[in-house]
Formats: sequence, structure tokens, C-alpha cells
Amino acid sequence: MHKSLRALGILALGFSAVGAMAQTVVGVSWSNFQEERWKTDEAAIKAQLEKLGAKYISADAGGSPEKQLADVEGLISKGAKALIVLAMDKDAILPAVNKATQRKIPVVAYDRLIEAPGVFYITFDNVEVGRMQARAVYKLVPKGNYVFIKGSPTDPNANFLRAGAQEVVDAAVKKGDIKIVGDEYTEGWKPEVAQKNMEQILTRNGNKVDAVVAANDGTAGGAVAALTAKGIRGVPVSGQDADHAALNRVALGTQTVSVWKDSRELGKEAASAAVALAGGKPVDKAAPWSGGEKKVPLNSRFLTPVPITRDNLDVIIKAGWITKAELCKGVAAATAPQACK
Amino acid sequence: MSDDAVPLWRRTGVDLRLLLMCVLLAALAVGFHVLSGGLFLTPENLYNVAQQTAVVGIVSTVMVLIIVARHIDLSVGSVMGFIGVLVAYLQYTSGWSWPAACLAGLAVALVVSIYQGWLVASLGVPSFVVTLGGLMSFRGAAFLVADGKTQPVNDAFFQRLGGGYDGGIGTTWTWLLAAVIAVVLVLRMLQRRRARAFHGMPNRPLWLESVLVAVPIVAVFAFAAVMNDYRIGDKPQAQGLPIPVLLWAAVAVVLSFLVHRTRFGRYVFAMGGNPDAAALVGIPVKRVTLMLFALLAVLVTIAAIVSIARLNAGTNSLGTGMELYVIAAAVIGGTALAGGSGSIFGSVLGALIMQSLDSGMLLLDVSIGKRMVIIGQVLIVAVVFDVLYRRRVGDN
Repeated sequence: MHKSLRALGILALGFSAVGAMAQTVVGVSWSNFQEERWKTDEAAIKAQLEKLGAKYISADAGGSPEKQLADVEGLISKGAKALIVLAMDKDAILPAVNKATQRKIPVVAYDRLIEAPGVFYITFDNVEVGRMQARAVYKLVPKGNYVFIKGSPTDPNANFLRAGAQEVVDAAVKKGDIKIVGDEYTEGWKPEVAQKNMEQILTRNGNKVDAVVAANDGTAGGAVAALTAKGIRGVPVSGQDADHAALNRVALGTQTVSVWKDSRELGKEAASAAVALAGGKPVDKAAPWSGGEKKVPLNSRFLTPVPITRDNLDVIIKAGWITKAELCKGVAAATAPQACK
Repeated sequence: MSDDAVPLWRRTGVDLRLLLMCVLLAALAVGFHVLSGGLFLTPENLYNVAQQTAVVGIVSTVMVLIIVARHIDLSVGSVMGFIGVLVAYLQYTSGWSWPAACLAGLAVALVVSIYQGWLVASLGVPSFVVTLGGLMSFRGAAFLVADGKTQPVNDAFFQRLGGGYDGGIGTTWTWLLAAVIAVVLVLRMLQRRRARAFHGMPNRPLWLESVLVAVPIVAVFAFAAVMNDYRIGDKPQAQGLPIPVLLWAAVAVVLSFLVHRTRFGRYVFAMGGNPDAAALVGIPVKRVTLMLFALLAVLVTIAAIVSIARLNAGTNSLGTGMELYVIAAAVIGGTALAGGSGSIFGSVLGALIMQSLDSGMLLLDVSIGKRMVIIGQVLIVAVVFDVLYRRRVGDN
């Protein structure tokens, strides 16, 4: 009884897939929906697909690379004409991706790189994030002792960020204007580790630190806590992710910049790319890229993030990312940035 | 065996292992001081190290008892993260006062810990398995509390609990505390001598006894002097003892008291020494195990409060991997993983040795990979030493 019901259901699904042939079906394979941020991405992808008249189907691998293989095959058999894949494991996903490309179903690698021929890679430019972090700090402190609080040693993004930051300060370092007095990885991106590292760097240098380039908002929080505990104020600190706590620090003036990667933008662009590719059309602003580990030439689109500083906090309120009350919590009226007035 | 055959150090009643660890700690400090060009033994760095160790140290003291009772708790880091985020969330997002938030955190910690303790004590599920599950679940719970968002902690008074700019108790209180400790140590010695004389037992020579009391007193005053010497930037007053360290010391003293002076403490050691015998002589094993886990909940809550106050925020990654440091501190401090023996003071030294290594190597700018290799090997050296030491003492 149950079995026949389920069979009916599958049949019905099959028919609906056939019925929707006229409409482009885009299948999205998520790695792990538990993480809060992907909900934002999903909403953006859905909205854009609806706007373009395409249909959204999805599967969530729940953090399992094996399940994701089955998910992708499932999406193909449900009639997906293009796939957006957020890979749990960039190598384990390859068999499924190859299967799709053999059937001429375009694959968009979403946020995480999948190195297979024919894949379209869309992400934020992490090297650019690093540049933006260093630029915002460098603008305030063109000379002095710099500390780099890097991300996790096991995350390749940590090195992209650090490389971008180096590009900005490199000339000044060679000239001797900037001295790098600390350059530590932060195990697991943990704020408390960043705090401990920052404390030891301060002690090592007799508290003579003029600027801190921290890789994300969590590590920035650790660095700021270490600085305030030593009564050091006014040292520029960078970050990224636009964490609410970090945006509040930017409003309070204890953090200089948080580079914002608007995942809604990423979702929107990925949806447009998938629909364009399914229709055999080129993607807007696509560019060839082969900077991955295996140097596979891919088509790609790198979105530019937005550095959020004291001066453009209104951008993030208008985008509905954070409420004004939350952003301006505890900010004194006299020193408040424009956005909090 | 004549009295002369017993080596001098055994007649003094001093624990040779703890003594060796003190020597090791001192050697590490001097070594790092020389290598770093005079940075390690400065008031600022010692203040750093003392504070950095406090959170792991607080949990280690009770981990000693858990391991002594032949259990283990792998979930302490996750539970600490969960409670930390919860306390921060209640303050920041729900707008509770900090004492109310802390009490709520304690209540939740007790529920969590007694649930795990109940599974272990009543159903006989191995604590390794129960807390391994807890390690994952409560990390997830830490994420769910605030949807993974960082929760800032802004209350100025609360922040003092984590040390920081206003987190010292000041010079007067520090001296006063040192003096009280000195008086207590002297009184205890006199009381012990009187008791032994009253019962007609031989006393140790007075000079030896005086030395044994004088050494810790000098150490306490030296530590107080160093903490009172630390001044942040251009702040007019010196810091004095940081509050996290004060809490840690209080916790260690209370637990030592529990171990040496209460039935509960003796039961825990008896259970660890021989669980079957303990049950046969009528020790309420289940109840003691539950009490032990409840005690753990209290200390994990204190550690959670200190760490969010120190970081000025509760983050969902708080305490990730901490269980390993906590267990390592207990083991380096001479707690036998097979159960039955361990010392609270040993865990204090163990935690200090590990953090000194880490912070000292950071001062020397040793890369993260090398640091991890070295700290891991130190743990092994400590256990090897433990095995050899026990064999040797057993031979005697």
C-alpha cells in the first residue's frame, strides 16, 4: 500500500518534470544547510530564478560528500537543465559533476571551487578581500608596526587573504615604512586563539603595534579584546563577513573595516549564470581563470565584495542586513557615525 | 628497614613528582626568558600567561576528579561553548542582567551535566561514549542558541570577571590575600604539630617544617609582588591579581578541601582505586558519580563566564578542542588515566606548563606547526615519565 503510494508519487513527480520541460529547471545541491548563511543564499537564488521564469529544485547533502553524489544524480533525473553545486568536498564531487557535463548539463560551482573542465566557477574574490582589508588599514596608518592575524592554517582562503593584503603593503614594507612585527595563523579561526596570539605579539613588541590586519571578524574580535585589555585604543583593525558584532564594533570605532560579501548578490548572479548556461548563452562578465590547484582552465565570475567602514554603514542598513538599533547599540551620540544619527 | 634507609626527600613527605614539575616550570620560564631576550619573566608576560591558563586550569581541577573516578568527559569544551553563548545571548539579545544570565547558564549546565552523569551512573553507559556524543551535540547547541551569531558582552562589571583592563583586584587586596594565605599556612603547620604531639607521634624537625612552609609563602608573596608590579600603559594603579586567576585559585583550594577533608572526596578516590570494593563497602557510587558531574557543571559554568568576559563576546566556536588541553593538563599534572590517583595542585602545574610552552614559543615567534608538534610531544614525555615514576615507586 505504502509502496504503491510512493510509486505514484514518483510517477507524479516524473510527469511534473516532463510538464515543466518548457520551463528551465535549475537544480541546486547544498553541502550542509545547517549553516545559517546558506539560507540567505537560497532565498536569493529562488527569487532570481522566479524572476527569470525558471524552476528551483534542491537537495541537501547534510554534510556528507557521498550523499551529495547521489543528490546530484537525483537532481539530474528530476530534469534539471543546469546545476548549481556548493561542494562539500571539492574532489569527491567530481564523478557527479563529470556525469552532468557529459550530458551537456552546465554546472555552476558555487562559492567553493570544483576543478573539472566545463564548470563555471562563481565566488567572491578572496584575494581582493585581503586587499580591501589592508587598504582600509593602510589608509589610516601608512607607516608603522603591522600585525597580521591570519585565518586557519588548514584553510586555503587564509593564504589568499594574506596574499592580497601583502600586495597592498609590499612596497611600504620594502621601503621600510612598514615593519611586520607579528604574522600568526589562527587555529580553527578561533577568536580566543587570536586573542592569545595578539597578547603575546603585544608583549613581544612592548605594545608597540600600530595596525592589525585580521582575516575575519571573529579573529578581529579576539585582537580587539587583547588591545582593549591593555588599554590600547585607536589601533585600526580589519575584518570580514559583516558579523553583527563586528558591525557594532565599526559603529563604536573599535574596528576599522569589515569586508562584506553579500551572499544575496552571489545567489542572484549564480542563478542568472545557471539560466544563461542552460539556454546555451554566455554569462555576463565571465572571464577565463585557471588559478586552482590543478590549473584546470575554467570560466569564472569573481564578485567584488564591499568594504564596510564607519563612512558607509548606511549601505548595510539599507540592504536590510542589520537593523539600525542592533548596529548602533551602545554607541555614544557624540562620537556616533553618520549612520547612527 | 631502618630510618636511614629512607631517602631524605621521602622523610620530608614532599611529593617528588610535584617538586620536579615545579622545577620544570621554573626551568621553562628561565629558558624562555633567556631565549626571548628577557621577555618571559616580565610582570606583563606572567600576567598574560596566568590569565591565558585560567580557563583551562579551572576545568582541569575537576577533570582530575573525573579521571580519578575512572571516568572521562570529552564534552567540556562543547558544553563550555554552549553555556558561554547562552549567557552572552541572554545578556545581549534578551537583555537580562548578568547575574540572572549566569544563574540561568548554571541551571542549564547542571541539567546537561546531570543528564550525562545519569546515563553514566545509572545506566552504566561508558562516560567516553556519552560525552563523545555530548562533544558533538553541545557544539551544535552552541550554534543553535544564537543561530551562529557572535554575541558581544558589554557590561563593564561583567568584563572584569575576565581580567582585562579593569580586571585586577588591586595592590592592597593582593597583599592582603597573600598575607592571609601565609597566616593560614603557618597556623595549619602549628596545628598539625600540636595534634601529632598530642597523639604521641613523632614530629618532623622544626627547621624542616619551617622550610616547607616558608617556600610556598615566599612563592605566594613573589607572585603577589609580580602582579602588583604590572601596570597597563599609563594607567595610574597597578593591576594586582587578575580576577580569573583569583577564581582559579579559589576553585583549586575548594576542590583540594573536598578531596582531603570530605567524605565525597575520599569516596571518589576509593571508587577510582577499586570500584567493586567501593560498592561492596557501601559507598553510594551512583550518587557520588552524579555529584561529581554536578560539580563539573558548576566549574564549566565558571570557566564559560570567565572566557566570554575575557573575549568580550560569546562565539559558537568557544572552547573548541579545549577538552584535549584540559585532559592533557590533568595528565601532565600526574593524574593516572587508569584512575585512582591524581592531584589538584598537579593539574594547576600541568596547565601552567602547557600554557607557558605555548605562550613562550609565541614570544619566540615559533610557527604554529612546530608549536603543535612540540606541545604534543611534551604530553607524551609527561606520560612516559608518569609510567617510569610509578614503576620505580612501586619497586620501592
